[in-house]
Amino acid sequence: MALLRVDNVGKNFGGLAAVDGVSFSVGEGEILGLIGPNGAGKTTLFNLITSTFAPTGGRLLFRGESIAGLAPHSIVRKGICRTFQNIRLFPRMTALENVMVGRHPRSGAGIWGGVLRTRRQRDEEADIREKSGELLALMGLSGCGDLTAGKLPYGHQRRLEIARAMAAEPKLLLLDEPAAGMNESETREIQSLILTIRGMGVTVLLIEHDMSLVMKVCDRLVVLNFGRKIAEGAPAEIRANPEVVEAYLGREEEGEDGDA
Amino acid sequence: MPLDWLNPYHLQVASFILINVLLAVSIYVTLSTGQLSLGNAGFMSIGAYASAILTTAHGAPIPAGVLLGSVLAGAFGVLVGIPALRLKGVYLAIATLGFGEVVRAVFINWESLTGGAVGIAGIPQMGREILAALRESGISPETVGLRSNQFISLSVFLILLAAAILSTLFFLRLSSSRAGRAYAAIRMDEAAAEAAGIDATYYKVLAFSQGALLSGFAGALFAHSTSYISPADFTYHRAVEILVFAVFGGSEHLLGPVFGAMFLTAVPEALRFISDYRYIVYGIILVLMMIFRPQGVIDQALIDRVARGGSPGGS
Repeated sequence: MALLRVDNVGKNFGGLAAVDGVSFSVGEGEILGLIGPNGAGKTTLFNLITSTFAPTGGRLLFRGESIAGLAPHSIVRKGICRTFQNIRLFPRMTALENVMVGRHPRSGAGIWGGVLRTRRQRDEEADIREKSGELLALMGLSGCGDLTAGKLPYGHQRRLEIARAMAAEPKLLLLDEPAAGMNESETREIQSLILTIRGMGVTVLLIEHDMSLVMKVCDRLVVLNFGRKIAEGAPAEIRANPEVVEAYLGREEEGEDGDA
Repeated sequence: MPLDWLNPYHLQVASFILINVLLAVSIYVTLSTGQLSLGNAGFMSIGAYASAILTTAHGAPIPAGVLLGSVLAGAFGVLVGIPALRLKGVYLAIATLGFGEVVRAVFINWESLTGGAVGIAGIPQMGREILAALRESGISPETVGLRSNQFISLSVFLILLAAAILSTLFFLRLSSSRAGRAYAAIRMDEAAAEAAGIDATYYKVLAFSQGALLSGFAGALFAHSTSYISPADFTYHRAVEILVFAVFGGSEHLLGPVFGAMFLTAVPEALRFISDYRYIVYGIILVLMMIFRPQGVIDQALIDRVARGGSPGGS
């Protein structure tokens, strides 16, 4: 059974159809790439899946269950986490605290627990701290725990955001351009991180413009253009698809160059 | 008399400082989720009037009045906090300021219950009640060298001190816990907080009503310290004064508004001879602060520097 099914989903902003009747599924354990030119509706689709806003039409099924209309934080509890295209950390918190915030939906201490420091609260807090530290280490940020998140180098911030999303133990992780603005070696790190994350049993839905990264890590690709799905298939098929090449490069004679 | 240095006047000033500390904590709590509420003078008046009416007209004991007054203010906090979710920044500030003025208008006009513009006099005073209770059981403060008025002021001061310390500790601990991290996350980026699985609606309404409850608590204690309240105690000036505690002291850390309240209440008393110009001094201080230290006297960096070596955490 598909982990996530996007079924004929659409979103209109005024008269503009940002996403228009898109359907695809994400299988358990898969890395699915979502590509397309700027303005194709990729991030809008992420916002629909995470319920930042509601679709104008269609259905979204996560593990066979409709998730339309849930609050964004309930979506996280169901097991879908995301990162943002323009990094959105909590800038004045430390890196560790950022990840600890990510543990929120997997912990339960309330006001009184926090104030009275009950045994259960202290145990939970220690657990949150430990798990968050492990995630920082996994993302290669071991030494950065006490540093202010907003002052970390750009590449670190991107990885910290992934660590925060992973802290909620998602089943499905949505990564919105994790390699944007990164150099080659940083991109390689991201590539191996994505594979590590999949190795932990997390399904990944990836928006990325770096075609070499997409081609290397993704099992399948879904291509959007002007809000519509124009192709779906294995990376090699997509690379050879004339409609996709046209969407990226414009109409031309067979200009086969996947490195757009 | 060995305890002559215990001057009732100084104790009274100290008591006002402590009530303002409670109000400063109350505005900080709401602010720690990024909501600027100027309604705390209104919530304060709800707590004060509720407790005053319960103890004078219905003969309730002071602790019951204070408790019910606080809870009532907190309940109003929930009622105001839910629609307030739709407003941000200055719009929320203006709406909550309006709420405070509406409450005051109700107290002025509902004469049968509130005594109108004249207010309520003869509210049981905490210190006097304790003194009377002691006298009844045969204990007199004179045996420890205290005159009656000294004892009254001292006991009010001690009750308020306990209230201020407990409230400050409560919210200090809260801010370095899971809920406090949720507050801080919402304040820094609400959408990112939701994406991290935090129910922003719940925590914002919670913080709003906590602030309201604490304001109501401060108001009830105020009523039982002065034994006289009127709508003039809870005007727009009071709302702005509470805001100034946070602006001056700093709103990044709980201790900022606490310091602001202590400093700004103590200084005009120390400079009694320019007391009439207090608001001019406020204005000058605020302008200078905005130029030289826009984040307020106490910011996170200062706290970190002082607490170097302590465990990391807090907002």
